[in-house]
Amino acid sequence: MWHRLFALAVLTYKEGVRDRALFGIGLFSIALMAGSFLVVSMFMRELSKVTVDINLSATAFAGLLLTFFVSINLMAKDMDRRTIYLVMSKPFSRAQYIWGKYMGIMLLIVVALLMLSLCASLTIWFTKSQYQDYFKGFIWIEFYKAVYAQVLMFGLLNAFVIFYSTITTSSFITLLFSISTYIAGQTIEEVVLFLKTEQADGMVMSQGIDALINVFQYILPNLSVFDLKVQSAHAIIISRDYLFTITCYSSAYTIVLLLLASMIFKRRELR
Amino acid sequence: MQEITLKNISKTFVSEFKRQKKKAVDDLSLSIPTAEIFGIIGVNGAGKSTTIKMILGFIRPDKGQIFVAGRDPSDPDSRLKVGYLPENPYFYDNLSARELLTFSTRTSGLGKKESNERIDLLLEKLGLTDVQHHKLRTYSKGMTQRAGICFSLVHDPDIIILDEPMSGLDPFGRRMVIDLIEHLKAQGKTVLFCSHILNDVERICDRVGIMDKGQLKKVLTREQIHQGTNKSIDYTINNMEEIFLQTICGKK
Repeated sequence: MWHRLFALAVLTYKEGVRDRALFGIGLFSIALMAGSFLVVSMFMRELSKVTVDINLSATAFAGLLLTFFVSINLMAKDMDRRTIYLVMSKPFSRAQYIWGKYMGIMLLIVVALLMLSLCASLTIWFTKSQYQDYFKGFIWIEFYKAVYAQVLMFGLLNAFVIFYSTITTSSFITLLFSISTYIAGQTIEEVVLFLKTEQADGMVMSQGIDALINVFQYILPNLSVFDLKVQSAHAIIISRDYLFTITCYSSAYTIVLLLLASMIFKRRELR
Repeated sequence: MQEITLKNISKTFVSEFKRQKKKAVDDLSLSIPTAEIFGIIGVNGAGKSTTIKMILGFIRPDKGQIFVAGRDPSDPDSRLKVGYLPENPYFYDNLSARELLTFSTRTSGLGKKESNERIDLLLEKLGLTDVQHHKLRTYSKGMTQRAGICFSLVHDPDIIILDEPMSGLDPFGRRMVIDLIEHLKAQGKTVLFCSHILNDVERICDRVGIMDKGQLKKVLTREQIHQGTNKSIDYTINNMEEIFLQTICGKK
């Protein structure tokens, strides 16, 4: 079983890594990182925070573009263009297909983020060497913890991409659902907090809306927990317990989504 | 031994919005024994591709049973020794033919040495050796079709399902495929073959099934097709075409 999963993951990775969009995304992100050196020189204070923030944002942005354009292409286009017939004519179960594809996509995301974080590290190191006084509080390990949290976030977001690909018949709808999930996942915590504060201040909200928000709060992923840019930029120590908790959160959510996707895909007819 | 068995298979598709029903396959029964070349012919929409997709487990029949090498198509192992060429095969654009074939051999459990030998042999046979490392998106239609044929045969399957294998091929390519299928028969392989080109079906197949509106209207052996030629006296008539038209339209 594993040799088949590995073969599909490698096939998916190779197809993705040669996608022309990947080069564009990579070049854009590296240009953004290199540009951060020019941008920080215009600031008179907190250069380390600006540098770390720009570089982590560039990595996250590249990850998002990869997810929305390359991952969706790899998954949904398999259905659109019927390349799935070639894969499924081999002895794959539907669940193996889902997990093999996810492994390939994640391999691509992890390799891309590793490369980009290496570029970001070089940029930070270079800026640090030029403006040493501003980087006294900077902690490398906190920077890498933030990158790790991004990997967890993209692991979860790509599980959503796989899940949506199994319930829709069009790559465009998968893209729309995935972008919506990302936006909702990044903002749900703030929305809930805002509404609870307003309620505490005497705002009256209908029971239906209140119940709906509670449902969304638990169904939608809270992606803001993976955003550690601020902590990393301000050199705030991120505890091991926190990292362990978000790892479990991302893993559990991903496993549930992939199991659901496998169940749905098992019933789907490949016409 | 029967390699492919279909027992009273029916399949109806329901359109997504209007909920209109369309019967694609209707009470189809068929058995294909080992080492037989069985051809299915029929007009567009006759149910040929749907039947193949049910055999491969891509879609499920509403009624009836299917066995491939003694297994239900929902069992992935039923496809372990099956090679499939879809109609108008689509490939991953950024992969090379060699990478695609390596995927096929690895997922079928072939070792590295055997895999490389089979890939070299097939690429040579189908004239793709020189372009084996080129990206598949740079291939012409005929080259894509030949790469698809390689993909379906590279893991040395016992059952080969070819949906319109001659599509997009020039006369030289068609000749190559006919020779290849005859070679597969000599090796004792079972071939299920769908085509619109009646001459090819008549030439290659041991038995031919004529499908229309989801039903298997007639199954003829090679001898029965040629007996028809003798009776019709007129040897200039394309015999398979006559039988086909008589079966579908009732035309004499």
